[in-house]
This record gives sequence, structure tokens and C-alpha cells, in this order.
Amino acid sequence: MFRYTKLTALREVGFWALALVFLLPFYFLLMTSLKSDQEVFTTSAAAPPSSLDFGNFVEVLSARGNSNVLWGLFNSVIITAGSIAVLVLLGSLTGYVIARSTSRWSTTMYYLFLVAIVLPTQLGTVPLYIGARTLGLTGSVWGMIILYGGMLLPLAIFLYAGFFRGLGTEYEEAAAIDGASRTQIFFRVVLPLMSPATGTVAILAGLIVWNDFFTSLIFLGGSDNQTLPVTMYYYIGSLVSSWNKIFAIVIVSMIPILAFYLFAQKKFIQGFAGGLKG
Amino acid sequence: MTQTPTSATRAVVLPEPTGRRARRPRKRPQGMLAFGHWWWALPGILLVLGIHYASTAVGGFFAFTDWTGLGAFQLIGLDNFVEIFSDPTKIGAVGNTLFLAIASVIITNVAGLGIAVGLNRGLKSRYVLRTLFFMPVVLSPLAVSYIWKFIFDYNGPFNGFLGMIGLEEAIRPWLADPEWAIWIVLVVISWQNTGFAMVIYMAGLAAVPVEIEEAAAIDGANLWQRFWHVTLPSIRPAVAIATTLGLVNGLRIFDQIMALTGGGPAGATETLATEVYKESFALGNFGYGAALALILTLIILVFAVIQQRLTGERREA
Amino acid sequence: MTQHRHTALRRGAFIAIPVAGALVLAGCSGSGDEGDSGSTGFSFTYATSNNLESPYEALANAYMEANPGVDIELNPQPNDNYDTTVRTQLQAGNATDIIQTVPGAGQPRSVVELAEAGFLAPLGDASAAIISEGTENLFQVDGETYGQPVDFTVTGIVANLTTAQDAGVDEFPDDFNAFLDACADVAASGKSMVALAGAAAPNTGLMAMSISATRVYAETPDWNEQRAAGDTTFAESEGWQDTLQTVIDMHEAGCFQPGAEGGGFDAITNGLAGGTSIAAFAPGGSAVEIAQAAPEGVQFMIEPFPADNSDAFILASSNYSLSITEGSENQEAAQDFLDWVAGAEGAQIFADASGQLPVKGYEELELEGTVYESSAELLTSGAYAPLPNTIWPNASVYDALASGVQGLLTGQNTIDDVLSAMDAAWG
Repeated sequence: MFRYTKLTALREVGFWALALVFLLPFYFLLMTSLKSDQEVFTTSAAAPPSSLDFGNFVEVLSARGNSNVLWGLFNSVIITAGSIAVLVLLGSLTGYVIARSTSRWSTTMYYLFLVAIVLPTQLGTVPLYIGARTLGLTGSVWGMIILYGGMLLPLAIFLYAGFFRGLGTEYEEAAAIDGASRTQIFFRVVLPLMSPATGTVAILAGLIVWNDFFTSLIFLGGSDNQTLPVTMYYYIGSLVSSWNKIFAIVIVSMIPILAFYLFAQKKFIQGFAGGLKG
Repeated sequence: MTQTPTSATRAVVLPEPTGRRARRPRKRPQGMLAFGHWWWALPGILLVLGIHYASTAVGGFFAFTDWTGLGAFQLIGLDNFVEIFSDPTKIGAVGNTLFLAIASVIITNVAGLGIAVGLNRGLKSRYVLRTLFFMPVVLSPLAVSYIWKFIFDYNGPFNGFLGMIGLEEAIRPWLADPEWAIWIVLVVISWQNTGFAMVIYMAGLAAVPVEIEEAAAIDGANLWQRFWHVTLPSIRPAVAIATTLGLVNGLRIFDQIMALTGGGPAGATETLATEVYKESFALGNFGYGAALALILTLIILVFAVIQQRLTGERREA
Repeated sequence: MTQHRHTALRRGAFIAIPVAGALVLAGCSGSGDEGDSGSTGFSFTYATSNNLESPYEALANAYMEANPGVDIELNPQPNDNYDTTVRTQLQAGNATDIIQTVPGAGQPRSVVELAEAGFLAPLGDASAAIISEGTENLFQVDGETYGQPVDFTVTGIVANLTTAQDAGVDEFPDDFNAFLDACADVAASGKSMVALAGAAAPNTGLMAMSISATRVYAETPDWNEQRAAGDTTFAESEGWQDTLQTVIDMHEAGCFQPGAEGGGFDAITNGLAGGTSIAAFAPGGSAVEIAQAAPEGVQFMIEPFPADNSDAFILASSNYSLSITEGSENQEAAQDFLDWVAGAEGAQIFADASGQLPVKGYEELELEGTVYESSAELLTSGAYAPLPNTIWPNASVYDALASGVQGLLTGQNTIDDVLSAMDAAWG
């Protein structure tokens, strides 16, 4: 029925044309980042650079102090990875209990998490900062991991709970018959089955944490542990529309998360499909 | 075992005869959970209560005070709310918030669904195309705004393009134009979020068995009929998730506006979230800002409930 | 069981936040121990908006060089988010020992506002001694000094005289009608008289204030006091109406670069350094900054905004100050540093690095041949007023002016809208 016809080929070409228009901003991004300071002002944005000049990237990566991009990159990787670990551990445990328990309080909790997903963050920022300060969580990478973990936990729980609801209990029953403890059943049997949900949680949370600017600006303010978006903001603030360097740093900040997405995208889409079974 | 979750989700990406109807969960165990401990949920619950609810409640309390963000304050009842509703710029911000949220949901969902349906069957390069359309989602809102600010800059490529095709009179500072600025913001939000809606729809579509569509085609249904009567009803859960997430994120829109226009020109693109930020942090009217944030929270909750109701009814239908 | 320990920790977090909230309710600033005499280091937060060496950084480095035992922890913050960051930290009790503030009460980082909320520690006599006569109330609360001025900033038009001559403007006009004529001539040659960052509130606001020097304050130097007493309003004031009308006149005469209403600060730097615009509204120190980006040999000058039926007048005042935070554990070391900054050596280093005039003794300086040459006479004769918004009661007034001026350029607002909004914000 759905064979590859001329019409399909036409559709394929059409979508490529659409994609190229859609990605035009990336073209400007790349071309401008490779231009020299003079060329940015003298040539049209659409024109490719006269020669490949990676000087902007070298300059961006070798900035020091507040604008130390490599150090920001390092902090961002640690914070993002740590937050994902917290979210996977706590999100799966909480989601499991909520999905498997049929009592009324688990339904209440489920709605509690649902509401927490949509609550805007501005209202709680100052009280949260004071609380975090009292507990000594501000200014440190570990504090940020706990904070991001807590902030995105409702989303993770929601995704995991949806997925656990669609999973039958036969694996748990079989493992229980083999004499496994509850902890063993969860970590050896159930959690591995959840890898699509884990993929979704990891990518969604990873994107949000990696790109978050405001929380890290406030909560890491005054420490040496700035994340990449804050470093980028400091650096760009100092550039006064040197678009070539601004775009070089944008590309630098984009590559790790894009690579991570390409690596995990299959699980990501599976996870969504799993969540959509409702 | 055709009903294992792994094969079921593989079916989602590489459609197999195992339709989604075959994947109903098995009967749940009776009573409390049989294979976990209830206290496993405690750390998560406490963290959410502390970080989301306690801090929001404390913040919400300040909506009824005249706190500047520093030092002492007084309880002033509903004065902040009275002031908000008598200030036309704040009403304008509510209007902008609703416009951007609703318009961006419509655009991203129609475009996302269109791309997902178009790429769903038969295209050889659909995985590559899917990745390309998803790329803007990965960028930080800050980075996205820098790129588009460059494009719509007065001396930027967009005005350059207009000049090239002879539309000199259309050249304007787009992001400082009271009529156009909010449309540019809409374009940028839609550009960034379409890929996200697309992925959700692709996941939903992958679960629609190909035979149903084939059967409808054999019955003589045309493309549009097949889409409207067969495909769309099968992906309702995807529609629900994509529109809810889109709406909630649209109502909270902040980063892109701060970086693109800062709420300007003269407040023309101000939204509730940017007003909350300005009042509570930049201008030192924390109580007033908290009142705005409380209104934003209520609007979001109302929309979330409406959305929940709509999708709930659809499921029963 | 590790799970139990986690649970206990989370419960601790859950309880601690309401408790911390209660501290806020009590208006407690969470002050720590009083000064530790043994310490020789301290921390210092200031705002930056570019990557040139900040004058504060220059001060700190020179001080550390002169005092090898002292270690200053610098904490520059982007200007856009400086207020948010510093206020949040003050509230939580972990601000740095020294913070950069501004005089008066008109901004979120203003000395009086922060001191009245109990977040600043009183400063020593050396700080009080350099406050100019008549401006004490901008730095002091109840007789105690909380802010130490560091600069004397002349605010007017920074002009690139080289570009002006190229465009046929041999003498910078000192009459407003001549200025408008020059605008038209310059525009005809494809350049612009003024580079305006119309989308950047600080620039539109600064423009309106610079114009108000001749339209409002030349005739009524105590206009702000009258407004505070309720004797006049912005909407009633002919001077303020005239100020905003001047903005519209300039817009219509083509004084601004094309697309000015959407311009950012880059429009100013690139326009003046690149020779496509002649002048910009800016604090005097930025002439030094822009000159760094311009080709060698280009001459800059700080000009007063041309008067219209009034005497020449300019804005000049201390616009930046330093304060020690209440609860700082290194108050002595911090005060020692401030004493040094107040002294001749520190003042000179700051003036050199910032391009502003030093806070004390600028009257005796020979300004002939410097960027301040055109405004020197006004300074000597006392024909200047302080930056108006340092005296205004809150940040919203200035915000209403700055965003209102952008609205005038785009046609969204009338003069009356803007002035009424400023009155409403005054409270």
C-alpha cells in the first residue's frame, strides 16, 4: 500500500526544502561564527566567510576569569549529570510507589505532583533562596544538583508513573518467586524495563538544566562554580555585538547537548510513546 | 511474549503488527503495592513539598504585603490586586500572555502535527529530517534569542533580504515596532517549540497501526478523511500532552522576551512573567510582583484544569 | 540504611524553609559576627557591562599591590542582573563585604533604600569627609554615613569631533535650533547626529535627563524638592513637557540613526567608534571607553546638550558609591580599603580607570585639552545639577520615564501619558 512512489519522492524533496528554510538561522550562526571581525560588518550575513577562521572559537575557549567557558562547560556537565541521576533515582522510586499503590493518598500525591509541574517558579524564588542559603546549598555544585532535582522531580515522577501504569506486574511476580528482595526486584528488574522512560526524563531534564540561566545566576551568584549559560551571558555582555564571537560561544554551548540528544534520542521517543499510552 | 514493554516500545519506533490495543496493562495487584515500600516515595514527596509548595506558599503570602524585597513590611490585604487591575499596562501584559500562549500552541501543534504526519510513512530520510526539525529545541532560549535578534536587527539579514527584493518601505526595526514586535516573538517561540510538538506526535503516530489506515484507504477514504477520522482520534493522548505542555510553557514565557525585546517597545511585549520579574527584582516591589505571580499561577491552574477536563471527556467518548 | 538518612535530610530541608520564611517575616537580616580584627581579606561585588578592566578591579589590584597581605575576592556581576543578585544575597545574609551602590533612593541598589532596610553598616569618618556639601542626604541616614562616593560624573553628550568635522559640523552647536539644522545636514550625508540605544532603557532615560538639565533644572534647580513636597507634578511642569517635546523634535528632524528605537548599546559604541554617528547621550567616562574602540587620533568631547532659551546647564554629580554590608565579618579590612579609596591615591586610580573626574578636587584640575574642556566652564561656575533620578524616591519613576521615551519614538505614548505615569510611580 504505502510504497515509495513519485509522490513520496516529491514529499521527501519538499520536506528537505522546508527543513533548509527552517534551519536558516543555523546557517547564519555557523557562517557568522567563522568570520573575522572586519568581515562581519563588511559582508552580508548570507555570504560565507572568505576563509575558514576558527580564531573566534580559539578566543572564546581561551577566555579566563568570569568568562572561562571551559570551566563553565565542566560545571554544567557535572550539574546536569548529577541532576539527571537524582531525578532518575527519586523519580522512579516515587513514581513506582504512586503508580503501584491504589490507596487514596497516592492519587492525592499524584495530583500534588501534577500541580507542581505547572506552578510558576517566580513566586518561590526568594523564599527558596533563603531556605537553600540556610542549608548551605547556595554556591555549590551539590546544592544545584539537589535544587534542580527537586525542581524537576514532579515532571520526572509524572513521566515514570505514567509508564509504570502501563507495565504489567508479571516480571515482579516472577522475580519474587525466584526469591528476590523488593529492592532487588526494583533495581534489577523493574528499573531496567523503564529505560525508555529514563531516556525521556534524562533528555527533558537534561535540556532544561543545561539551558537554565536564571536559577544558576542567582543560586551560584558570587561563587566560582558558574554554569555555561551564565558564563555565556557574562561573556556576551562584554562583547558589544561582536556577533562572530557571540555565535562561536553559542555553538560551543550547543554541541554537548546536541551530542547527548543524538545519543539518547531513540529512548527519548520511545519514552514519549510509552507515556502516551496513558 | 508480544506484550513485553520492550517489544511494545520498539513497535512504536518501527511499527509492527502489535497495535497499541494489544498492550493493555495486566490486571493490577489488589490492595497496597506488593513489590515496593511506601517510604520509597518519601524523599521525593518531601523534596517537592519543600521546593515547590513551601516556597510558593511563602512567596504567595507576600502578595498581600507591601514588602520591597528588603527589611520590614506590612500586611496590606488586597491592595496589590486592586492596583494591578487598575493599571492598563498590567492588563495589557495579561493579554499578551494569553495571546502568545494560545497562538503559539496553535502554530506549534498544527506545524508539529503536519511535519510528523508528513514524515511518518515512507520517507527514506525521515530520521535525519526528524533530527533536523528537532534541533532548535535543544538550544537554550538565550541562544535562540541571540540568533533571532541578529536576524531581525535593523542592519540584519531580514531587512537586507527585504531591501534585496525591493521592499525598502517595509524595512523597520522589527523588535522595536509596537505592531510587529509581538509577532516576531511569536515566530521565535514557534520556531523553537515546533520540533518538540513534532516529536510527541511522531511518538503518538508510531503507535497507530498501519492496517487501520490501509483499511480506511481501501474503503475509499481520501487523505483528509483518513487523517480526520482515523489518525487524529488515535493520537488523542499525544494531542493532550502536546497542547498542555505548550500552553503551560507559553503562559510562563519569559527568557525569549527578556532577551529579544526586554518587554519593549514601551511595554508592548510585556507578559505576566516579565512583569513579575521586573517588579519583584528590578524595581524592588516584591509584594506587588508576588501578587502578579499569584495571578499568573491562578491563570495557569485554570487552563490546566480546563485542559484536563477536555481531554478527560475525549477519552471517554 | 542510606534511604533513611536521605529522608531525614529532606525532612530537615522541608522544615528549614518555613523557618527561614519566619525570619523574613520578622524583618531579620541574619547578621553575623561583628568584625574580625585578624582578617586581612574581604570580598567585593560590583556591576560590569563590558570586558574592559573595571575601575573597581583596577582599585582592588592597586590596593593588593600596595598591601601584599591583603586578598580581595572580586565578584563582578552583569549590570542587568546586578540588582536581583545583590538584593537576594543581602536578604539571605550572604552578600559580599563591600558592594557597589548608587547614591540616593531612586534605584534598587541605592544607598538610602538599602541602609533604611538595615543591610548596610555605617562607614568611617574618611568616607563622610569626601561627601560634597549639600548632598549628604544621598549618602547618610540618621547622621550615619552608609555610602562612600567614588566619582564625579559629568553627563551630557559624548561627541566624536572628528566625525563631526568630516560631516561638516565644525563647531558643536550650542543652540537647539542650530542643533536641529545640523541634524538634517548630517542625516543628508548618510550619517546621524545622535546614536541612540532606543531599546535600552538606561539610554533613553539618560537622554531625557540630560535634556532636562537645560529645560527643567537650569531654571528650577530645586524642582525635585518641589515635586517631593507636592508643589508640582511632572504632568504640570512646562519644563518636563518641553524636555519630552525636545525628544520628539529631534526624532522628527532626523537626529537619530535609522532604526534608533530598536538600537542597543552596540549602536552607540559602533556608531561613535565607527564614525557613522557623531554623538551619544552617555556619562563622561564612557568617552574613554568608546575612544578605546575608535581608530587612533579620533577626538572625543563631552558637550552639554544645547539650550533652548535658557542658559547652558549640565548634569554632574557622584553617581556611584561603595558600601559595606551589615554583618560583614571583615568590616575593618573593608573600611581600610574604603579609606584608601577616599584618599588621593585611590581617587586618582579610579578617575584614571573610569574616565570620570575624581570625587574631590575636580575644581582644581586643569581640564583644558581633555574631553571635559567644553563642560569645564559650567563646572567652575556651578551651572550643573545632580543626576535627577538619584533624588527621586523609587526606581519606578525612572523606569516610567525610560520606557515612556521609547514609546514617544514609536508613537505609542503621548508626552502626557509619560509624565502622568511618572507621577503615578512617584506615589
